[in-house]
Amino acid sequence: MSSTYSRRDFLKTTSCTAIIAGSSCMAAKLGSLDNNIINGGVTKSVNTYCEMCSSRCQIECKVVDGKVSFIEGNKHSKGMSTSVCARGASGHSQLYDNQRLVKPMIRVGKRGEDKWMVVSYEKAYDFIAEKLKKITDEYGAKATLFSSKTGENFNHIATFANIFGSPNIFSHVSTCPITYDIAFEHTYGGKLKRDFSNAKYILNFGHNLFEGIAVSKTKKLAHAANSEKTKLVVLDPRFSVVASKADEWYPVKPGTDLAFVLSLIHVWLRDGKYDKEFVEKYTIGIEKLIESTKDTTPKWQEQITGIKAEVAERVANEIYKAAPNCIIDWGHKTTTGASEYQKTRAILVANVLMGNLEKAGGLFFGKKAKSVNKIANMDIAPVITNPDGHIKYIQEERIDHATQKGANVFVSRKMGVLMDIPDAILSQKPYPVKAWIMTRTNPLITVANSQKMKKAMEKLDLIVVNDVYMSETAMMADVVLPEATYLERDEGIADVSSMAPAYMMRNKVVDPINKTQTISEILRALAKRLDLDSNYKWQTVTNFRVQQAKGNSELLEKLAKDGYVSFGVPSLLYREKSYVDNFVKKYPSAASNLDSDGLFANMLKFKTPSGKIEIFSEEVEENFPGYGVPAKHDTDVAKGYPYIITSGKTALHTNGHTQNIPFLNMLMSDNPVWVNPLTAKKENIKNGDLIYLENNIGKEKATVFVTEAIRPDTLFVYMGFGRESEELKRANGKGTSQSKLLSLDKGPVCSTMITNIGVKITKA
Amino acid sequence: MKKKYRMIHDENLCIGCQACSVACRSENKVPDDLFRLQVRVKTEGVFPDLRMDMKRHSCVMCEDTPCVTVCPTGASFKTEDGLVQVDPKLCVSCKYCIVACPYEARFINPVTKNADKCTFCYSNRVSKGQDPACVTVCPTDALVFGDINDTTSEVYKKAKESTLVYPKAHLGTKPKLAFVPNKKGVSYE
Repeated sequence: MSSTYSRRDFLKTTSCTAIIAGSSCMAAKLGSLDNNIINGGVTKSVNTYCEMCSSRCQIECKVVDGKVSFIEGNKHSKGMSTSVCARGASGHSQLYDNQRLVKPMIRVGKRGEDKWMVVSYEKAYDFIAEKLKKITDEYGAKATLFSSKTGENFNHIATFANIFGSPNIFSHVSTCPITYDIAFEHTYGGKLKRDFSNAKYILNFGHNLFEGIAVSKTKKLAHAANSEKTKLVVLDPRFSVVASKADEWYPVKPGTDLAFVLSLIHVWLRDGKYDKEFVEKYTIGIEKLIESTKDTTPKWQEQITGIKAEVAERVANEIYKAAPNCIIDWGHKTTTGASEYQKTRAILVANVLMGNLEKAGGLFFGKKAKSVNKIANMDIAPVITNPDGHIKYIQEERIDHATQKGANVFVSRKMGVLMDIPDAILSQKPYPVKAWIMTRTNPLITVANSQKMKKAMEKLDLIVVNDVYMSETAMMADVVLPEATYLERDEGIADVSSMAPAYMMRNKVVDPINKTQTISEILRALAKRLDLDSNYKWQTVTNFRVQQAKGNSELLEKLAKDGYVSFGVPSLLYREKSYVDNFVKKYPSAASNLDSDGLFANMLKFKTPSGKIEIFSEEVEENFPGYGVPAKHDTDVAKGYPYIITSGKTALHTNGHTQNIPFLNMLMSDNPVWVNPLTAKKENIKNGDLIYLENNIGKEKATVFVTEAIRPDTLFVYMGFGRESEELKRANGKGTSQSKLLSLDKGPVCSTMITNIGVKITKA
Repeated sequence: MKKKYRMIHDENLCIGCQACSVACRSENKVPDDLFRLQVRVKTEGVFPDLRMDMKRHSCVMCEDTPCVTVCPTGASFKTEDGLVQVDPKLCVSCKYCIVACPYEARFINPVTKNADKCTFCYSNRVSKGQDPACVTVCPTDALVFGDINDTTSEVYKKAKESTLVYPKAHLGTKPKLAFVPNKKGVSYE
C-alpha cells in the first residue's frame, strides 16, 4: 500500500488552474506591462528586526509611498543575508489588516460577551488606574498579575510590575523553553549555542528548525543537512520536514527519547568511549552517572522507544568518532512528558561526555562584548547597560511560590509558572488575585487547560489586554489596548552576540496606524496616573537607547541605520586552536591570557555551585531526590489512553498569534489531525471526517488527515488553531486547540507545561 | 551577449516554508487566494519508509513556449533574454495560454482580468539587476538565479556542481527553471 499527500491538504493551495472556471472573459484593461503599483520606486528602506515570532530575525523593510511594501532579510547581518521566512515576509499583511485592533475599548457587556465602548487612550488609562488603585487599596499590589512573552515588551512590563509593587510577573517561558533554561543552569551554569555549520554529526530530538524557523539557524542546519560532511539523525514520532532531510529518521515513541539518550551514555561509559580528560578537568559527578546508567542498555531502550538496540549501539559509536565536532541537540520546546527535565539533562550531559564544548561543530558560550574585551585586554566592542537596572524584583511570596522550597524552587521570579495561575485565582491561595495586565500573550490558546484558565479569568475584577488582534484572551478583558506593532515602534538595543559580539535595534518603519501606542508608552501613562513615574530614569525611547549605549552616538547611529552591528571581531571558540590564533593575531594584547597549550580554556567559567560542569547536581538532588543525575524516569505519556496527541510548529504560523493574518491564513487556515492509515482503519474513520479527541481534561473536535507520516499510536496537530474569537473572522471556528486537552500538571524540577498527552478518539 | 537566465531550485535545501510564495505575493500584488508560485510538499511511502519532496510550482519559462505559440494577440511574448511575459494591453483573457501551458502555471487575475503568471520578476527586479523576490528571500538558499553564460555567477557554479533536472523535459519545452532533485528518503521511483 502506498499513500501520498500533498500539502494541498493543509495549505490552501488554490491551484493556479482551479480558478479559471470562476472568472469571466473580459476585454483587457488599459495598463502597462507590470504597472506602476508594482514597481513604484522604493522611497525608503528601514533596517530593524522581526516580531512575527520570537526568533527576532533582522529584516529590511521597503517603504513605498508611505506604506511598507516588501520585507526581506537584513543584509548587514551575515547569518541572514536577504533571507526571511513566510511569517517575516508577511509583516505588512498584519500591519494593514483591517481586522486589526486600532482603538482602545472598555467592556460594556458581560465579560466575554464582545460588547465594547470605544474610548480615548486617556479615558482607558483613567479607568485602569482607578481600578488598580481600588484593588491595591483593598488587596495590595500583589493582587495584580503582569504577563508578556519575553522580549523588550516583557522587560517593560516587568519593570512596571516591580515599580507597582507586585511580585507576580509571568513570561511565556514556562510554556516553552523553561526546561533547557533550567537544565543548562544546573549543568553548565548558563546557556550554550550550537555550531551547526561545522558539525560532523548532529543528533536531533525533534528540533524542527525547518518549521519552527529562526532564519540564520535554519539556514545553517539546511546547509549542514545537505552536506556530505555532516550526518543528521532525527528522532521524531512524526515525519517532519527536518526528519525528511535527515540521513536517518527514527519515529521514536513520544516521551521516550530519554531512554535512547541514556542508552548512548551507557554505551560510551561501558566502552570508555568519552572524553576522559575533559570530564576529569571540568566536571563533577561522573561516578554517579556510571551508576545511574549501568542498566540503561541499548536493548533496554528498545522496548521503550521502539528503536532497535543495534541502532543505539551504532549511533553511539558514530557520535564518538565524530566527537568533538558533534551536536546532540536539546531542541526547542521539545516538551514531551514528565521526563522532560531528565531528558534535557541527559542530552546536555551526553554533550559533556563528547568534550564538544568550545570546539568547532560543537557547543559554545555566546561571546558578548564584555568577555571579548576582557580577553583582548582592550575595548574591542562597546558594552551596553540596562537603564532600568536599578529597579529590583519584589521579593514577596509569588502566587506560584517560585524560588521557594517546593515544586517551583528552580523557577526564576522573573519568569514564573503560567499553569499555576488558574488555581491561585480560583482558590485565592496564597492570597487573592484580582487583576491581570498583559501584553503580547494569549493564554487561552497557549496555556494548558484553557477551559480552567477561562473560568479563573471570569473571577477577576480587572483584565487589561494589549494585543494586535481581538484574541480569545482580549475577548475576556475589561480594557483592550491596541498594540503598536513592531513595524510601528522604536525600541532599545538587544544583544545578539554569537561567536562574536553583535547588537540589533528595532527601528520604526512607519508611524503607528491610528496613533496606536506602544507598551512602553502605555505603561508610562499608567505610571504617571499612579504616581510611580519618578522611578524611571528615562523619558523617551531615544533617552532609553542613549542610556543603554552609554552615550555612544556612533553605535546608535549605526544601529539606527543598519539595524544590526557587529565589530569585525573574529569568531572565537576558547578551545579551538585556529580560532584562538586568529583572535590573538588580530588582538596581540590577548596573548597574555593564553593557556600553556595556546588556548583560552582558562576563560571558561561555570556559574554552578561547584564552579564545574555538574553531571551530578547536589542542589537538585536535595530538592528532588533521584533527579540529581540523569537517570531513568517515567516515560509513559499515554497513561492508559490508546493514543498520544502531540503538537508542533509550522513555518506559516506562530503560537496563538498569526492565524488570522491574511497572507498566512491564505496559505494555512486549519490544522487537521494527523492519523496513520492503520489507526484510521482501526477507528473506522477516513480523511476529512470530523472526530473528537477526548481525555479527562477535555473534548475537542478535529478533522481527520490520514497520512503515513506519523506513528500509529500517535496523533499530531500544528498548534495555535481552534480559535473561538469571532473577531478573528478568518481563523474563527477552524481547527483544533490542543490546549483544551492538556493538563496543568507540570514536569518535575523544571515546572514545564507538558504538551504530549493521552487521548481517545470518538466519532462526532 | 544575450543573457541566458536560469533559476535553479535545489529540492535538498528547500524546506517548503512558502517564504517564496509570500514574497511573490508581496512583490507582485498577487490577488488573495491565488498564487503565481508555491512549493508543494509531497510525502510518499509507507510508514516508516518515507520521502518528502519539495516541488516548486510556477511558470518554468520555456524556450519553446506553448503559451506564446497559441496566443492570438501577441500578449504572451518572450523578452529578448527569453523570459516569457504577458502584456496586459494586448491580453483579451481568451485563456488559450492557460489551457496550452503544460505546467498549470497560468490563471486569470480577477483584478486585472488578464492572464497572469510568474514573470521571474522581470520588469520590476531582474531588468534592474536584482534577483526575483522568491530568490531574494529564500531562507535556505534553495533558489539560485542568474545568467548562466556568466562563468563567475552563482547560478553557473550551482549548475556545474549539481545534477539538474528540467520539469517535464520530455515535452521539449526547454524550461529555464531547473531542479536539483531530492536525494534524501526512501526511493519510490
